[in-house]
Amino acid sequence: MEKTAQKVWDQAQGQANADYMRRRRVSIDPITRLEGHGKIEIFLNDQGNVDRAYLQIPELRGFEVFSQGRPSEDMPQITSRICGVCPTAHHMAAAKALDDLYQVECHPVGRMIRELVYNTFMLEDHALHVYILGGPDFIVGPDAPKELRNVVGVIGKVGLEVGKKVISTRRRLRSIINYAGGKVIHPVLGLPGGVAKGISPDQIKEFQEIARDGLEFAKFTLQVFKDIVLKNDSYVKLITSDAFTHKTYYMGLVDKNNKVNFYDGDVRVVTPEGKEYARFPIRKYLEHISEHVEPWSYIKFPFLKQVGWKGFVEGGTSGVYAVAPMARLNAAEGMATPEAQKAYEEYFKVLGGKPVHHTLANHYARVVEMIQAAERIVELVHDPKITSKEFRTIPTKTPTKGFGAVEAPRGTLIHHYETDEKGLIRKANLIVATLNNSARIAMSVDKAAKGLIKGGQVNDGLLNQVEMAFRAYDPCFGCATHTLPGEMPLVVTLRDLQGGVIREIRR
Amino acid sequence: MGNEILGDDAVGFHAARRLRSEFGPEVEVVESGESGLALLDHLEGCERAVILDAVATGKCPAGTILSWDREDFRRCVAPNQHAAGLPHILELAEQLGMGFPRQLRVVAMEVQDPTIFRESLTPEAQKALPDLVAEARRILAAWGHSPCTN
Repeated sequence: MEKTAQKVWDQAQGQANADYMRRRRVSIDPITRLEGHGKIEIFLNDQGNVDRAYLQIPELRGFEVFSQGRPSEDMPQITSRICGVCPTAHHMAAAKALDDLYQVECHPVGRMIRELVYNTFMLEDHALHVYILGGPDFIVGPDAPKELRNVVGVIGKVGLEVGKKVISTRRRLRSIINYAGGKVIHPVLGLPGGVAKGISPDQIKEFQEIARDGLEFAKFTLQVFKDIVLKNDSYVKLITSDAFTHKTYYMGLVDKNNKVNFYDGDVRVVTPEGKEYARFPIRKYLEHISEHVEPWSYIKFPFLKQVGWKGFVEGGTSGVYAVAPMARLNAAEGMATPEAQKAYEEYFKVLGGKPVHHTLANHYARVVEMIQAAERIVELVHDPKITSKEFRTIPTKTPTKGFGAVEAPRGTLIHHYETDEKGLIRKANLIVATLNNSARIAMSVDKAAKGLIKGGQVNDGLLNQVEMAFRAYDPCFGCATHTLPGEMPLVVTLRDLQGGVIREIRR
Repeated sequence: MGNEILGDDAVGFHAARRLRSEFGPEVEVVESGESGLALLDHLEGCERAVILDAVATGKCPAGTILSWDREDFRRCVAPNQHAAGLPHILELAEQLGMGFPRQLRVVAMEVQDPTIFRESLTPEAQKALPDLVAEARRILAAWGHSPCTN
C-alpha cells in the first residue's frame, strides 16, 4: 500500500478503535456455545443507557470458500452439515439449486417425495420449537422462575402425557424422513432431476397412519396454544406490545395462487402496509436483495435493493425486511390447505388484522404453519402416484448457474452456485434464513434493551425479555452441535470506559 | 458428536472409528452431527453410553482430555436459544421415564478452534487423539468391555 494511503488507513483504524473504546460494553455470552456464535452485544453510553445492541450470528463466508472446487452434486450433503438443527432445509435448497444448475425439471414423483420429506421436517421442527425451545417463554410464562423456563417446566404445565405425545409423534415423523432420506442427520435424497429412492407401496399404509396422527397432533397443538397463551390476557398484551413490534417489509415463498408454500414458488414481498411490493423467481434474487455492512459487526444485513438501506429503521422507506413464520403469513394471501386457512384467518383476527408486526407472533404463526405442513403430508401420502417406480429425470445439459430456495422453518433460504463445465463449484453464495432477518433482529434486540436497561441497571428478568426478542425468530447460531455443560448459560459483564469489570451477572 | 467439515470438531468421530475397529459389534458406535431431540433416538434403550466430542472451554491447553458425568449436567437447565442440548435431553428423558443410559460419560478433547472449515485434524488434535481413545477405552473396560483379540 502507498505510504499516504497507509497513513489514512491507520488513522481511520485508530479512530474506529477509539470510538469503540469510548462505549461501555455489556456482553451476554451463552457459554454453552462455541465462541462467536449467538452473542448479544450491548453497548452502554456514559449514562449507563443502551447506545446500541445487537445479536451476532455466524458468518458463512468460510463455508462458501470451502465449497469451491468441489463437485456440485456433493452440495446437498456438504451444505446439510452447516447446521445440526435444519440439515433438511439446506439439503433441499441445494437439491433445487442442482435442478436449476443442470437445467432439468424435477420429476413430478421425485418432487412429491421431496415435498413429503420437507413438510414432515417442517412439522417436526416447528413442534420442537413450540414445545421445547420457544415454548418456555409462553407455555411456562415469561416471568416464571428461571428453573422452570425449560422443557421440564413445559411438561409440568402441559402434563406428562402431552410430553410423551410430543416425543412419540416426533419419532414417528422422523421415520418418514429416515425412510426416504437414508441417513437422517444428513439426508441422502436430493439429486438433480429427482430423488435417490422411491417409496414402496408396502410402506405407504404406515405413512398414512403417521400422517393422520401428525395432523391430529398439529390441531391439538393449536388448541394448546389457544388455551394457554391466547386465553391469557397478559400474554396477548405482551405479544402485541410496542416493545416487540416493528413495521417492516415481509418476504416468503408463495405458490401460483399466492398461498404459503414451504418447498417451492416465487418470492413474494409485501410492504409494511401489506401490499404486494415484488414477486420474483429465485433466479432474480440479486436484482432485489443487497447486503449492508456495519463497522461494528461482521454480519451482513440484507435489504431490499430498490427501497435502499436507510439504517436500522422501520417503515416503507427502509429496505429492512423480515422472513420466518410471521413474515410468511404476511407475505402470502392465505394458506394452501383448508384447516390451516381457518387457523390463518383466526390468527389475523386475534392479532388485530393483516399484516401482523409483532415479533412474538412468530410463535403463533408457527402453529398455523404446522397445520399446513400436516395437511400437505396427508394429501401426499394419499396420492397413489407417490409410490411410482419412476422418480428421477436424468439431466443431460451442461451446468452453469443454479439457484434454489426453500422456506426453512426460520425463513427463506437461498442457495446460489456457479460451476465450470464439469460441474465443479466456482462460486457458492448462501443466504440463510437468519441472515435475511439480521437487520430486524438487531432492531428487536436494540429496542428491547433500550426499553429495559436504564442507568446501567440490568437484572435477570430484563435479560430474559431481551433474549425473548430474538428467540422468537429462532435464529440460527451455526454449526454448534455441542451444548456441553457450562456452570451458567449466560454471563453478563458490565464494564467501565476502560474495559474494567464493574459487575458481572451470571445465570 | 461433531461436524466433519469443521476440523478438530470432528475429533470425536476419529476416536469413535478407532474404537469401532477395536471393539467390534459388542459396542455400538454411532456418529452423529445432530443436536436436540435427535440425540434421544441414539441414546434411548442404551444401558450405558460414552459421548466423545470436542470442546472449547478456553481454560486448558488444546489436547487436554476432559470428562463429565451425568450429574454435571443437572445445573444446566436454563432456556437455550435454538437447540435443545444434552442437558435438556437428559431432563426430558428422566421426566418422561424413557429408557435412558443408567451410566453416561462425556469425554471431550479441548480444541483450539472448532469453527474453522477443514476436513482434517490439526497436528495438536492428531497428537492427542490416542489419549481420547484411551480414556474411552478405560471407561469401556470399567464397564466390562474389552477389545476384540482377533
